[in-house]
Parts: sequence; structure tokens; C-alpha cells
Amino acid sequence: MSNMVGVINYGIAGNIHSIKKAIEKAGGIVKIINLKEELNNIDKIVIPGVGSFKDAISELKNDGLFEPLAEAIKTKPTLGICLGMQILSSVGFEYGKTEGLCAIDAEVHSIRVEAKIPHVGFNKIDIIKPNQLLNGLEDEEFYFMHSYEVVNFHDVLSTTTYENHLFVSSIQKDNIYGVQFHPEKSREAGIKLFKNFIEL
Amino acid sequence: MRTRIIAKLDTKPPHVVKPVHFEGLRKMGLPAEMAKKYYEQGADELIYIDIVSSLYQRDILFNEIENTANEVFIPFGVGGGVRSIEDFSKLFHVGADKVVINTYAVQEKPELINEAAQIFGSQAVVVNIEAKKWDNWYECYTDGGRVQSGKNVLEWVKEVEQRGAGEIILQSIENDGRQEGFDLELCKEVVDSVNIPVVVSSGAGKLEDIKELIEYAKPSGVAIASLLHYDKFTINEIKKHLSENGIEVSR
Repeated sequence: MSNMVGVINYGIAGNIHSIKKAIEKAGGIVKIINLKEELNNIDKIVIPGVGSFKDAISELKNDGLFEPLAEAIKTKPTLGICLGMQILSSVGFEYGKTEGLCAIDAEVHSIRVEAKIPHVGFNKIDIIKPNQLLNGLEDEEFYFMHSYEVVNFHDVLSTTTYENHLFVSSIQKDNIYGVQFHPEKSREAGIKLFKNFIEL
Repeated sequence: MRTRIIAKLDTKPPHVVKPVHFEGLRKMGLPAEMAKKYYEQGADELIYIDIVSSLYQRDILFNEIENTANEVFIPFGVGGGVRSIEDFSKLFHVGADKVVINTYAVQEKPELINEAAQIFGSQAVVVNIEAKKWDNWYECYTDGGRVQSGKNVLEWVKEVEQRGAGEIILQSIENDGRQEGFDLELCKEVVDSVNIPVVVSSGAGKLEDIKELIEYAKPSGVAIASLLHYDKFTINEIKKHLSENGIEVSR
């Protein structure tokens, strides 16, 4: 078990405080990553994210983190949360078309549903591919807060339904995981997810 | 869609207070302790509003907020006296997930909603509405129900949605703190006017009120204060009642 978790701090928008707290509660040691050099001394990577796809990518580029991060996630176990999951994709369509980190072959589109947007609140996940990250969390509910969704058909771990609309709520490609919900805001179930991540 | 059951802490730091009808304050406890209690009872979210900072024009007390956020692993909305992008930024750093604005946006700078939504994302920008009922319209008030704005509630909610707000908290000045039920017409009109989630506050006096509100107006969430603060019901009891009556809530 390697539990030094680097949480990427990019731009003005990162609410990393609550993610740090939740990882520590789960037994991890958190290092906030501001500089590319700091990516060397960690075992795992968490990419948080609030804000827009476009801003997130330009902040990563401004901070000189975009390419080093794209490289680092090829080898280190990585968890993208919400927008952090979305930017793992190849391309996003929020405020125009923006290229992402390209770790997962997917596109990010606004949620196609005739209902209130953003989708906010606790919701179930239906695990379609058993995996270590979601192990023991089959019957749990997680907190969602998003207006965009990752469209992908190959790497899906779980789906969630919002007002009859089925969307991808978690994905995995090799060592890279992404969750659309906020484990740091999902009570004990979220802490358990971070434990699973630390134990990968 | 599961209706969110939210615990609301109105504070006059260092205490949670309960304004009765927006006037007269009763001390109810300390925010960190009450936040933890409601988290353990199964609240879906917490909202923390410093109800005097705007009125007194004093700075936001960030320490109090950080202490309250500490043991709570559910979404945490914070408001009261928010005036700038810098305030938003600092609040996220002490643990807020959403920032609630009202007075400043209504009175001085509605563009703050646009700016904040662009930087932090719509989901992080919540606009609080204090609605005062007149004969055939509702007016937005500010500063905890003290100051008239002249703005029509139904027009203002559409405007804030246009500007990028991701959620609305709706308070009724007449019904707040009285525990005599919600203003159902107001709630329904606001919910139907916008495509963003609306959280209704002000009015729950008994379990039946909450059920009736959800069935009639279909808000995305209900924010509860008095019922919880006076220990009339726990969050779990509220959810159980709703769930037994066919209303979907989270566990």
C-alpha cells in the first residue's frame, strides 16, 4: 500500500480542502501539488475540479502542469473527481471545444435530459463492472453536482440514472479512474472509496 | 429525483440563532456541534448563513466556517456578507462547496453572479431570495428581510438563472420561523419559472407541511431549521415519513 496522495491544485477554482480532509480521514497522507516537480514524490494522484472544462485545461497549462500531469498519470494510480474525471477525456464541449488530457477515449457533453440542471443530490450507482475502487460500495449513494457528462462506452465501471437519463458515473482505463460524483461529499461511503483507492 | 433534505444553520457568530419572522434571535447552539449532529442524522447538505454580517457590513468570519466544515462530509453551502470574487475564493478554501449570495447581488452588483459562475462553475453559485408577499406580486428583500429592493421575485429568479446561478434558495419573509407551513403558491411559481434547482426554506412546522410542499411544488430540496433546532424531529424521522408517503429521498 502506498498512501502518499498528491492532490492537484490548479487555478483559482480548486476546492481541495474537503478532498484533503476526506483522504486523511481514509488514512492517506496528502501532498498538495502546485509544481510539476512535486509530481515525482507521490504514489497516487487525485485530480479534483470545479469550474469549466475549458478553464481547467487552461489553468493546468498556465501552471505548467498539463503535460507533466498527462505523463504522470500513465504510471501512477489516478482518480479524477467530477470535472477532474471529465478532463481525463479526449475532448470537452463546455464553452467551445477543448482538448483534454486524453487518458480516456471519451467526449464530455452537457447532460441531455429534460429536467433541472445541474443534477444535484445523492443518487445510486449501478456497478456494471466489478472493480477494486467500488468494492463494497454496491448499495451506496453518492453526491452528484454536475451539468456535463462523460460519454464513453468502453471503460464504464458504473452508470447512474437521473430522471430516466442513464449516464456514466465512473470509468476506468488501466490505472486511471474517474468518478462523476463527489466521494468527499458522500458521507462514509465516500471515505470508503478513498480507502479503496489508497489500497490499490 | 430524490428530494434533498438540508439542515440550515443561521448564525450570528459564534452561535446558531433562530430568527423568528426575521426579527428577534434565539441562541440555539454552536455551529460546529450542530453541523456534526445533523450530518450524523443523515442530512443531505448543510447551509450556513451568517445572517448579520451583511447588515453590520463586517467581514466574513472564516474561522467559524472552517471549524463548522471540519467534521462534515456532505456538501456545505455558505453565505452572508459575500461581496467579491475574493470572498468566494476564500470560502472555498475554508471548506465551502457552494457560496450563497443575496444582498450584494440584488443591491449593487448582479454581475458578480456572472463572474463567479464563470470562474467557479454554476453549481457553486447559489442565490438566496427573501420574498415578501404583496397583494399580487412578490418583492425581493435584502439584509435579512429589512430592506426593500423593488425587484419582482419571479423576474429576478429568471435573471439570476440567465446570469449563471446554479441554484436558488427561496425564503418567505411571512412564513420564516413561524412553523406554520410554506407559502405553496410562491414555491410552485418559483420552481416552475426556472430550470435550475430550487431549495425551499421557511415554514416547516410539521412533517405534513414538508410532504405537502414536495407534492405540490416539487422543489429540488427543502431546507429545515426550526424543526431540527428544537428537536421536534430528526432528519432521519423526516426522511422516513416522506419515504413512507411515496416521496423519494436519499438514505
